[in-house]
Amino acid sequence: MKREHQESGRKYPLTGGEGCSSKGKMRDEGRGDGSMDEELAVLGYQVKSSDMADVAEKLVQLDMAMGTVQEDGISHLSCDTIHYNPSDISCWLESMLYELNPCQTSDPNSSFSSIQSPILGQHPQSSIFSSAKQSQFYEDNSEYDLRAIPGIAACKSSGPTPDFQIEGSFKRLKYDSGQISTLPVKSEATDGSVPEPARPLVLVDSQEAGVRLVHTLMACAEAVQNDNLQIADALVKRISLLAVSQAGAMQKVATYFAEGLARRIYKIYPQKSSIDSSYSDILQMHFYETCPYLKFAHFTANQAILEAFAGAAKVHVIDFSMKQGTQWPALLQALALRPGGPPTFRLTEIGPPQPDNPDALQQVGWKLTQFADAIGVEFHYQFVCESLADLEPSMLDIRPGADETVAVNSVFELHRLLAQPGAIEKVLSTVKAIRPKIVTIVEQEANHNGPVFLDRFNEALHYYSTLFDSLEGFALTQSNSKDLVMSEVFLGRQICNIVACEGSERVERHEALAQWRARMESAGFEPVHLGSNAFKQASILLALLSGGDGYRVEETNGCLMLGWHTRPLIATSAWRQAA
Amino acid sequence: MAEGRRTIIGAKKPKFCINDHRDLLVEIMKRLDARSLGVAACVCRLWCSITRNDALWEHLCFRHALSPPSGVRTVVVALGGYKRLYMVCVEPVLSRLGTVKIGLDGDSGGGGTDGDSEVVRRVWRRYGTQLSLSLFSVDYYERLGARPDDSSASSLTFLCEPVNLGRC
Repeated sequence: MKREHQESGRKYPLTGGEGCSSKGKMRDEGRGDGSMDEELAVLGYQVKSSDMADVAEKLVQLDMAMGTVQEDGISHLSCDTIHYNPSDISCWLESMLYELNPCQTSDPNSSFSSIQSPILGQHPQSSIFSSAKQSQFYEDNSEYDLRAIPGIAACKSSGPTPDFQIEGSFKRLKYDSGQISTLPVKSEATDGSVPEPARPLVLVDSQEAGVRLVHTLMACAEAVQNDNLQIADALVKRISLLAVSQAGAMQKVATYFAEGLARRIYKIYPQKSSIDSSYSDILQMHFYETCPYLKFAHFTANQAILEAFAGAAKVHVIDFSMKQGTQWPALLQALALRPGGPPTFRLTEIGPPQPDNPDALQQVGWKLTQFADAIGVEFHYQFVCESLADLEPSMLDIRPGADETVAVNSVFELHRLLAQPGAIEKVLSTVKAIRPKIVTIVEQEANHNGPVFLDRFNEALHYYSTLFDSLEGFALTQSNSKDLVMSEVFLGRQICNIVACEGSERVERHEALAQWRARMESAGFEPVHLGSNAFKQASILLALLSGGDGYRVEETNGCLMLGWHTRPLIATSAWRQAA
Repeated sequence: MAEGRRTIIGAKKPKFCINDHRDLLVEIMKRLDARSLGVAACVCRLWCSITRNDALWEHLCFRHALSPPSGVRTVVVALGGYKRLYMVCVEPVLSRLGTVKIGLDGDSGGGGTDGDSEVVRRVWRRYGTQLSLSLFSVDYYERLGARPDDSSASSLTFLCEPVNLGRC
């Protein structure tokens, strides 16, 4: 579109449909009758031919105004155009200009409202919003106001309405593969004299419904944060209705978040049942099989450990993650084939006791021993049945005189320690006492541990939306849909934990790589760069995925991150004790 | 009868039968691709036994990659043999070589498909063996715990549509 413009002299560089229209305008400036311009009418725009020059001038002004406004401020315009009925170009232009330069008028609110009437034609002036009666704060952009969502209980028409405050700024969500849209919100508290009636939405397609769904989710979270449980309750029901109209990833994400919110509102916290741990193991196994995140984690961590073990005759790996032990066959095989032959391999698994499956750790050991036997690696296995927070160095059977190279591995486990104060420091000091050659850590790349619920909610919404989007690719190719469903349940449980639980129950306290880096460095570790070998292997692995065209591997400061399109989702890092 | 005898008396040169020259047969089969080997296995019992020879499949696996380090053979045989390695790990990768763009230098869109597939081939030549062996190990490990008739557990189904490893 823009390029087309530049060829025609670049007079009216606009986005979207206006591009064609201005070219048409240039050609038709001669016509002088009062009827609608025909050429533009074909394109869907209604502009009186007599107004053409005026409209053209306004387009130029708009262009200049858009150029001077900071970038942050204009992206909302691309969403707003739907609501402002761009068919009527001259009024639309006026409203855009006023919106961009409110200081041009003496009273922005009154002129804004006066602009609205010609745009929308007649609309019911609802008595709710008769001015000056209630001191209510409204958002400046009323499309993103809840009243745009029809029939909602938030717009109670009778009785004393609650002081409905929408405070704070909503975070901006990135536009991501057409399924979740951008929602900028400027919440400027204006005094209650702005009558903003329910605006009829011009276009309702699935993207539109998606925008409303996301907005409802965020509004509900805000209500929960402010303890407006009645409103939150109504919104949660609205979310379920809206979610049905969506398809694919958006629907699933919305459903899980709605469930989390509902649990939080009604205070029905998911109880830890006795079959929980083996069930979550099974779910994680399916998650491993479906998508590349765990495989990426294992392969990159293994590569770092392999390089650290170069030349060692005896090696000892201490693993915090357990979970069926699928990480270790590949490492054992790589060690078996290294020049010079395999070392003596000792593995210590640490896992919390599982009442429903007490032999879980033992079974993993048997399988791994069988595997190591098959490929000819001398293998010793031991396990420590303790929760990670209770770990002591004495439990680990460290043999300092045996000249062993030690590696510590943790895949998606360390963030759980953040739920108990002091636990992470204790574990890190235990790790230091072991004196490992390398510590590999794989964690989710997101901050779901902020102090404010709403921030956590928004971050999680963005993160899990991206994650579910990436899983959608597999839905098209894999015939084994049971795996996919289980993976989604696995992720859904994480969502539920982040949204609904608090205190020591909330174990999914993900933190971003930068935060882990700070924590490790203050504990006395320094980073080890993951080599290009790991990077290339990870890249090939991702390239092999059917339906995985969106995955990207990135390297930042020696750490590898796996992401979907532009959003990093998982980060692998390696550490050693600072000299 | 008379015609048959006439034919036999008239023939001076013995007919060439490939089945008499097993080494030639093996040489020819070394140059076939996997699908043709499968087809060849259906011809007769001799051909079937030749195609089942793991050495042929070893050759096939490493045709496009660097020659593997010594000791690989014992490991691969222990984990299920070259034929299985090929079917489960190598073949899906190779079939995707032409259609895949790997953003290895941070530039996944440049060049054009020829340049990209060349890059991919080069990278595969260096790292592919390692990767397919790792995946093969994971596959074996998962089969350790599974029942013999349980074919649903496989973390390698992400590579392609489910591969039918029926005995052929």
